[in-house]
Amino acid sequence: MIGSAITNLGRFAVLILLQVMVVDHLRLAGIWIVPYLYVLFLLMLPFELPAWGGLLIGAATGLTMDLFNSTPGMHMSACVLMMFARKRLLRLMAPRDGYEFGMRPTVPGMGLAWFATNAGVLIAIHHLWLFFVELHRFDAFFSTLGRALLSTIATLGLCLLAQLLTTRTALKSRA
Amino acid sequence: MRDLFRFLLGIRDTLLFLALMVVASLLLYSGNMHHRAVAINSSNAVAGTVLAWRDQVAEYTNLREVNARLAAENADWRNRHSSAYAPSVNPVVRINDTLHAQQYAYVPAKIVGSTWHKQRNYVTLDKGEANGVRKGMGVIGPDGIVGVVHDASARFASVISVLNPEVKTSVKLKRSGNFGLLYWDTGDPASASMVDIPKHVRVAVGDTVVTMGGDGVYPTDAPVGVVAEVSSPPGRPDQAVVVRLFEDLTRSGYVYVVNDLRRAERDSLQQRQQPQ
Repeated sequence: MIGSAITNLGRFAVLILLQVMVVDHLRLAGIWIVPYLYVLFLLMLPFELPAWGGLLIGAATGLTMDLFNSTPGMHMSACVLMMFARKRLLRLMAPRDGYEFGMRPTVPGMGLAWFATNAGVLIAIHHLWLFFVELHRFDAFFSTLGRALLSTIATLGLCLLAQLLTTRTALKSRA
Repeated sequence: MRDLFRFLLGIRDTLLFLALMVVASLLLYSGNMHHRAVAINSSNAVAGTVLAWRDQVAEYTNLREVNARLAAENADWRNRHSSAYAPSVNPVVRINDTLHAQQYAYVPAKIVGSTWHKQRNYVTLDKGEANGVRKGMGVIGPDGIVGVVHDASARFASVISVLNPEVKTSVKLKRSGNFGLLYWDTGDPASASMVDIPKHVRVAVGDTVVTMGGDGVYPTDAPVGVVAEVSSPPGRPDQAVVVRLFEDLTRSGYVYVVNDLRRAERDSLQQRQQPQ
């Protein structure tokens, strides 16, 4: 339990710093692709975490991002919404016998298809909310929709890449 | 009563969700206007320090470009310095110039963090209240205006970029003197719209746009950009003017915070004039 808390805290610090110092400065396609890799931290929180814990951690994570981006409440609301949807989605996507103890919401833990579906839906919810709240109006509806969806694909790609890189080192250290 | 508690316990996660969303919305809407005990923006010491680390690491990659800009600017100042002018007549008397009192003081600052690809963009500077940077001061770069300081801590300042629809700048056409507001709704980091130019005013592509000044934010006639497109859409009292900005806000580097030394005097006068 404590080990898991430390691992998650470490992952939080690494992903937030990575987001602020590297990902925020990626210029992939100008204003069209703005990935937010930090949500991977929320996606990898353990299954056993109670819903209220997930919501509070989501709020804290979003607020941290808001601190760096001068956008009070924006990332916070997106993360809280995403964590609310996550609990429901996890219930929907549960294996027939429920989640076993020790299962992890990762590619090696649940398989590529499961992770990509779960992460894709949640990232899309987070990004759509974020991009429309950021815009504050609806007159540029389709361009904002396009930006949110393109960014979702980019974030999902980065999440899969991050899993791939960290999993290989994990396998090596085990061998 | 027990049923009520059981019911509340059953929906406690939903209630927590709603409560957190309400908190987030309050932050979102009270947003950057009100004073808070803890500033949720990048002038915060923690965020500022992390952004400054990052800038320290990355600054070497664009030193060449920054140097070139600084050298060009130095040359420009040197051209205006008195030593660049040979006297055309022998000065006989030195006059203590009381006609020209200094009105603007510039605080040089370095951009440690900036965005231009979001829909609301901010710039973080490495100078704060300890260096005389205050809320409401304008920020100009070597080529044109950058934004307005919206919060400052001791060592950092958070600036609302021109690329943010929250800031509207009073600007005028240099040629005719007609004024309007510069407002970022183009979504393009190289341009912004100028609104409130009446239809009878002749605006030509290539006209220079400068700041109005007099508002205590920017000095008068600070460069802004040139008119890139003009159209006269029906159903609107003003013309749609797109301005290509001089300052490239996608670059980092050095900027100047404008301190209008007469601002306090003007503000107090304007406050007295307002009916109580």
